[in-house]
Amino acid sequence: MSDSLSRRSFLKSFALALAALAASSRAAAAASSFAGPDDEPEDDVKRVLREKFGDRPIRKGHLSLDVPDVAPDSREVPLLIESDLPMTASSYVKGIHIVVDHNPDIYLAGFDFTPAIGAATLDTRIKMRRSSHVRIIAETSTGELWTTSRFVYTSLNGCV
Amino acid sequence: MSGDTGEGKILLPATIKRDAVINIRALLSHPMLTGMSRDQTGIPSPAYFVNDVVVMYGDERVAHFEWTSGISRDPFVGFSLLATKEAAVTVTWKDNKGGVYTQSADIRFSAA
Repeated sequence: MSDSLSRRSFLKSFALALAALAASSRAAAAASSFAGPDDEPEDDVKRVLREKFGDRPIRKGHLSLDVPDVAPDSREVPLLIESDLPMTASSYVKGIHIVVDHNPDIYLAGFDFTPAIGAATLDTRIKMRRSSHVRIIAETSTGELWTTSRFVYTSLNGCV
Repeated sequence: MSGDTGEGKILLPATIKRDAVINIRALLSHPMLTGMSRDQTGIPSPAYFVNDVVVMYGDERVAHFEWTSGISRDPFVGFSLLATKEAAVTVTWKDNKGGVYTQSADIRFSAA
């Protein structure tokens, strides 16, 4: 009985210590230079977006991007992209674009769809050179542009 | 790598109902080299990657992907498809050295 209690209290304190460690490392990460909630693109990223989409406004919304906060292997960072935009003949998502700010190829990939796809979902794996914003831009058949972004921390250089 | 370069695989759900939105997964064995890596003897490996993917459903072109070498080795892509007919889904991958790889899978509706 006392044996299991001490084991339990040990596990409890260990878990608390882990939680504290995670919180402090997160705080430290947030304080570092390339982090933070600000996802305003830098000039070279803005240039790529302008080349691709002109001066049309890119608004936030209608997209969800599921990606790990910390990528254990930056050679294979899984992305899951979903959208609630309609997929009908009159209005559909005609393209989904992946932009990674700090990769050698900032514009990583484009996926063109037709209404026959039924839903604008996408699941793939990408490489990342270093910690960076990952941006998804959806272009509709009516010319609207929607975006979402997530900051992903990486460990190893993934550009192989 | 999981297999020889150019070995493609297409995975469909086990059961497919007419007019359902299904998930399709397409996988290709390919090194996807950026041109910035070196081989084991230190010689730079030239860029070698899939840059163009076309998805056909029967005789209809339903999707087209443009890739850079930023897509991971043995490129994987999962996407949706509205299963309106019994027909083949054919994926054709092309790389920057002229390689063309094709794989297809038949959509058949399950009895129910």
